[in-house]
Amino acid sequence: MKTAVQDHLPSADRSAWAAKLTLALVFALGLAIIAMGFLGMQDYSRSGFSSESAYYAIYALKGPVSSAWNRELQPQRAALSADARERVDAAALALLKSAWENLYNGGAEKAQATLEAAGESERTALTYKLLYATYLMNGPKVSTANRKEITALSGEDAAAFRSALLACVADENAPVPAAAEKMAGNLQGTERQAMLMQLLFVSGGASSSASDAVNVLKKAVREKASQTDAFTMIARGEVNWLWQLIVSNGRTAILIGILFALDALLLILLMRSEKTWVIDVKWIIILAIVDFLLLFQLMPLVYMIVKAFFPESEFSLETFRRLYTYPLNLDALTNTLIAAFATMILGTLIAFPLAWLVGRTNLYGRKFFRALFVLTYMVPPYVGAMAWLRLLNPNVGTINQWMRALFHLSDAPGPLNVYTLPGMIWVLSSFYYPYAFITISRAMEKMDPSLEEASRVSGASPLKTLFTVTLPMMMPSLISGALLVFVSAASCYGIPSIIGSPGRVHTVTTRIVEYVGLGQQGLNDATGMAVFLMVMAVIILFISDVVLAKRQYITVSGKSVRPAIVDLRRWRVPLTALVALFAVVVILIPFATIFTTSFKIDVGKSMLEAGNFTLANWTTVFGRVETLNSLKNSLIFASVTATVGIVIACTMSYLLQRTRVKGRKIPDFLITLGSGTPSVVIALGLIMTMRGDFGINIYNTAYIMIIAYLIKYLMMGMRTVVSAMSQIHVSLEECSQIAGASWLRTMFRITGPLIIPSIAAGWFLIFIPSFYELSMTALLYSSTTKTIGYQLFEYWTFTSQPMSCAMAFGILLIVVLLNFVLNRLTKGEFSI
Amino acid sequence: MATVTIKNVTKAFGDNVVLKEFNDTFRDGEFITLLGPSGCGKTTMLRMIAGFEKPTSGELYIDDQLVSGGKTFVPPEKRNIGMVFQSYAVWPHMNVFDNVAYPLTIKKVSKAEIRQNVERVLDIVHLSQYASRLPNQLSGGQQQRVALARALVAAPKLLLLDEPLSNLDAKLRESMRFEIKEIQRKLGITVVYVTHDQTEAMAMSDRIFLINRGVVQQCGTPQEIYNQPANKFVADFLGKVCFFKGVAEEGRIVFPAMDGQSIPYDGPRTGKVDVAIRPENLYFTAQGPLSGVLESQYYLGDVDDCRVRVGGTLVRVITNGYAFRELREGQPVSLGVRDIMVFADDGLLESMLQIQT
Repeated sequence: MKTAVQDHLPSADRSAWAAKLTLALVFALGLAIIAMGFLGMQDYSRSGFSSESAYYAIYALKGPVSSAWNRELQPQRAALSADARERVDAAALALLKSAWENLYNGGAEKAQATLEAAGESERTALTYKLLYATYLMNGPKVSTANRKEITALSGEDAAAFRSALLACVADENAPVPAAAEKMAGNLQGTERQAMLMQLLFVSGGASSSASDAVNVLKKAVREKASQTDAFTMIARGEVNWLWQLIVSNGRTAILIGILFALDALLLILLMRSEKTWVIDVKWIIILAIVDFLLLFQLMPLVYMIVKAFFPESEFSLETFRRLYTYPLNLDALTNTLIAAFATMILGTLIAFPLAWLVGRTNLYGRKFFRALFVLTYMVPPYVGAMAWLRLLNPNVGTINQWMRALFHLSDAPGPLNVYTLPGMIWVLSSFYYPYAFITISRAMEKMDPSLEEASRVSGASPLKTLFTVTLPMMMPSLISGALLVFVSAASCYGIPSIIGSPGRVHTVTTRIVEYVGLGQQGLNDATGMAVFLMVMAVIILFISDVVLAKRQYITVSGKSVRPAIVDLRRWRVPLTALVALFAVVVILIPFATIFTTSFKIDVGKSMLEAGNFTLANWTTVFGRVETLNSLKNSLIFASVTATVGIVIACTMSYLLQRTRVKGRKIPDFLITLGSGTPSVVIALGLIMTMRGDFGINIYNTAYIMIIAYLIKYLMMGMRTVVSAMSQIHVSLEECSQIAGASWLRTMFRITGPLIIPSIAAGWFLIFIPSFYELSMTALLYSSTTKTIGYQLFEYWTFTSQPMSCAMAFGILLIVVLLNFVLNRLTKGEFSI
Repeated sequence: MATVTIKNVTKAFGDNVVLKEFNDTFRDGEFITLLGPSGCGKTTMLRMIAGFEKPTSGELYIDDQLVSGGKTFVPPEKRNIGMVFQSYAVWPHMNVFDNVAYPLTIKKVSKAEIRQNVERVLDIVHLSQYASRLPNQLSGGQQQRVALARALVAAPKLLLLDEPLSNLDAKLRESMRFEIKEIQRKLGITVVYVTHDQTEAMAMSDRIFLINRGVVQQCGTPQEIYNQPANKFVADFLGKVCFFKGVAEEGRIVFPAMDGQSIPYDGPRTGKVDVAIRPENLYFTAQGPLSGVLESQYYLGDVDDCRVRVGGTLVRVITNGYAFRELREGQPVSLGVRDIMVFADDGLLESMLQIQT
């Protein structure tokens, strides 16, 4: 009989060969699947479907659209003057061509050919019908609320509205009718015309057959396969399932094949560098996570960059030239930079003194203030925007009313106006300073107090010490806190959309969302804007994670650190009063405003004024099915995100903290990159790549939203679990294994119980932001996947401010309650 | 150069009294060590002298100037002292030169004078060639010397050292110990030194204050404290010691637990006593007062650490390393006694030893 040692060598050799063989097979399998996929694609392109299918679908819709045209739109057009009619017709033709051009290559020529094929008399009507059908499928988005408002117009009003819209199309300077103001008011040129035309169709689009046809098409899109295939099927009346399967899955096959091949290559590289040819289960886990991130995070980003630089599959900077020579975009760009920079400066100027006063002095109530400022961190920014809008509205804003009364100013608007760039900066600062505050106070609490005491004995006063020792030592944390504020402010959508849009203060994010509403060409343009945001974010991520991390001075000393408390002496009372005043202005007043507004009938009057108090806003909002549905959606999406996220987080922390597997840093890097990517960029990337073009179609589903949330918020949970695990010494686990416990038992009996508070904390840290998310949701929602955040946004923009305030306060209560639960669950160790 | 007068200083954090009625005057040029187990209040005393803590009651004078007490409180920066922290507290964002120059910069001394002084102290601590390095490029011992140089540069009247050697390895600790003592002698400054390491205290101090649970147990020269401990705690804390319960009678002390064997005693105590014997004060001899069996021995090179069973009691004996060759475990031996310390039996021996360990 052989000894164990002798037995070991040949078997290791055998398993190495087995591993190599397996990898080679997986790689070959990947290549084979790719080849099969390409075969499918070949058939697909030979069939010529791709460029034809959209046309067929739209052409198929022409019939159902006809009645709306004949009954409502045609008479309006006929009523125009000959001159105006000509201009409107020209506009319709141009819009049709550009819309088709966006749908597929050579669309403009196709439109021209289609129209020419029709008879002379038919041609104009056909232009409108096709445009209507196109917009039904893929036109500028009109919010449900606005749609309802427009379709609710009665006969005469509707006719007036439609003729006013047509007049606007014909004449750039004609006033936009009231009901269209919200959607089209701040647009220009072609965008404006497209939106006006869409509103016209909406207004005349009560025709049920048309919307039924659209529903059938959309259902097919969702259920059957990629959009194009569905179009084709219905347009041609062909239902060839086998054909469908091959054609539509060719892309999916290629995608799976590429992932297989990539995984095999990665494993080969890893094993070569490790010199151990054994397939480790840990690698399979890492690869699963990496594949997920490659697919849903990296691919969209890369695709967007490629799309921005190669708009027509050839290198061209045309997209950028077009985008950034358009004044509106240029404005948006400068606004974004100015707002983010100013917010960074203002936010840091607020955060540093606050962090110092609250963390390092004997300020009265410092623990309370600290909790309060940290609490602002988890308030959805758009709620703050709503509050400030109520306070600083130039006409009816509460603060403006007070100031006018106080200083006996005339009744003219002002003196303050929130609908301006400075207004936006103020609101951004008041909601993003906690980011810097948290970073800075953490560093301050970790600083070894003897560093400052050494300065005191050297003869420096507390103030001198603050500037010569504390501040320079804080600098890296200060800068990374400031950069975090910068990038958060620049990629914020909620605040600019609520405050900026009405005041025509555009930012990159609001422009991106507007572009996405404009169909395919819009998507391309949005990409160009998104690339700007992304480059900025990546640079900042690099600076704070690589450059600054190396200059971090703060080290936790071995002893328990008791920060030195500076005695403020005679400044104690005035400074406490100042901090309290700040808290009142930035936290109490806005929240109180939301609260009181939710009970008002007329927002311009006081809540206590006779006949202005009502509970109806609360009962109406929370009685509506759509509110409850969106609340349910939010709870489900956020729970799923948090649960999946925390499982990944736990796996990752085990890999990072307890193993030396090469390659464990790859998913870590991707997760960090994901959380640093601006929300709108993530969402846009997913929209562009997850609609079937690459074999995955989850557009308009809940999956796409959950994936977006995961990419953005996974790191929050992961960091929490990782740091908890790093504090548990390996010896605790080893001791359990020595005692005879299996790995699984050790995890459940030792490691698990020790980090369970952090796991709970991590879960909530993913849950809470996913729960009220707006920026990504605004791009990804569909009628069935609206979330509470987006619902609130819609109510605010299109329905009623008091009602949305009731809803906002409801959201606040839920978030505060969750934070309380978290605090209790982890025995006060964690709260956001 | 400076004296420190401490009058009835008591410090409490809430209800927790960490230092009770400290009274003494540290004389000019004296090397004072505050010694005691961790949590005894020694660091608190030092931080009160520095001005980082305020006494709950009592008064503190530096050179006849009241610095803490009543309504008077002089903040640390006005006390003109030098201090070295346990963690060194070398500022990581400044290089060695700037770190050391800092106290002079605060005093707005001229550039040339700063350079001259910094070079002088860097020379004292043997760091002249490291002036432009950043602290993270220095070893622990070098950082510690930067901290020392910084504390010395402004020629303080008083130097406070808070366990400055505890983070160094044994070799470096020993050499730094003598360097610090050397610098103190050369400059003639008053030093207050906090440590829990008795060897450090013994080697450097003019006077040692041994503190336990906020109360000064004994104050005196190293020799006094080691050889004439005021109580059992002091005896136990310094050096190695074994306690035995005995009965003093007619020129001898009888140990009931050693089968009634006895040693000669001519001191004043009678009746039940606690006897403390340092293991190095016992020796093997042909005709000693105690006899027993050698149970085990551990050869440590310079010494031989033995356990001898005398009746029902194990007695520790430390003798020279040479003895190892002559002794065999299990062999009957006889022990002589050089010196003993006798305390009244207050019945607290067990509880006292328990707290101490």
